[in-house]
Amino acid sequence: MYSFDYARAKNAKDAAKLLAKKEAKVVAGGMTLLPTMKQRLAKPSLLVDLAASKDLKGIKKAAKALTIGAMTTHAEVAHSSVVKGACAALAALAEGIGDPQVRNRGTIGGSIANNDPAADYPAACLALGATIVTTQRKIPADKFFKGMFETALKRNELVTAIQFPMAEKAAYIKFPNPASRYAIVGVFVAKFKDEVRVAVTGAGPGVFRVPAWEEALAKKWSADAIAAGAVKAADMNSDIHATAEYRAHLCAVMAKRAVAAAK
Amino acid sequence: MELSGDVLIPAPRAVVWAALNDPDVLKGCIPGCQSIEKESDTAFTAKVKAKIGPVSATFGGRVALSEIDPPNSYVIAGEGQGGVAGFGKGSARVSLTDEDGGTRLTYAGEAQVGGKLAQIGSRLVQGTVTKLAGQFFAAFAKACAKS
Repeated sequence: MYSFDYARAKNAKDAAKLLAKKEAKVVAGGMTLLPTMKQRLAKPSLLVDLAASKDLKGIKKAAKALTIGAMTTHAEVAHSSVVKGACAALAALAEGIGDPQVRNRGTIGGSIANNDPAADYPAACLALGATIVTTQRKIPADKFFKGMFETALKRNELVTAIQFPMAEKAAYIKFPNPASRYAIVGVFVAKFKDEVRVAVTGAGPGVFRVPAWEEALAKKWSADAIAAGAVKAADMNSDIHATAEYRAHLCAVMAKRAVAAAK
Repeated sequence: MELSGDVLIPAPRAVVWAALNDPDVLKGCIPGCQSIEKESDTAFTAKVKAKIGPVSATFGGRVALSEIDPPNSYVIAGEGQGGVAGFGKGSARVSLTDEDGGTRLTYAGEAQVGGKLAQIGSRLVQGTVTKLAGQFFAAFAKACAKS
């Protein structure tokens, strides 16, 4: 690891101010940034730690939306009775991330700000039509995720919370890499009163929706409505874990299982 | 890994060919390129800062052109060292053909990444290369259309 300065932000506003320094980086759970720094693949001049920013933590449920603070850990989401009651699929998704160490350190805000192409939370945000609340504005999930490791976030802009609308039915099913538990393919389906949304992670260069399946499921909410072929192998990732053709196949299989499991 | 693709550039073939051999144009189009210098008509040295997600590394490298057949095709080969991050190298045959509305640029080649970057980032290498190639050709098409 290269040497760096360290500062503990008192709150989100304080953190945004500290981030003005050149090459400064914000650290939430540090589940991606710290391994990268240990490998000397990143060299921030200053780490701004959000651990003491209490305004970024917590889970609240209102009539229309579930709000989760950016610094809420995966374990807190997984075990929250509020989340289980409002959206059981989201709690189950959090329980399936990484291992206990990752779930106790990693945060929802860190996950979506990093936007790893195989991370689980981006699929939930996109399928549930979440709103990403930042220190500067509110960004709809459809406009937030910009492909591999890219988001609409500006420099000095921090995710403070994520607001999830309530779905009638939802489920997330993934085919995990057995070692890392990253999604080789993960599909989140959500049924609302007037629309259905389907988001896929792990399969392509970034999380994406599948309009063909959304339309088919809106007409008929059944696993049979998922037609293979809507997701093309040409758009998929290919690596030692799975070929592009296999990933395209898995998308349909995971989508069907998610529809069958949704409640 | 292999990479290939093609892009329609809205400019005549002679203009596209000149741009392909112009270090200043290439510098403006290569994502993260900090400097590029001409050593001879067929060799360049370049410095590129790659930034993908949490990773950022600076690569110093050399680019050589061979099998030059103006204004139709050449083979471009490059290799770079990123210090502790690892190394990357690749080569591609670039061909130009006339088409309605401009010039069709076709490329086919292969790229390799080694060292720590490949070890840790193996699941991301293909996506990264595809994305960088896409950014390069989008910028290149724009630069040609302007000149």
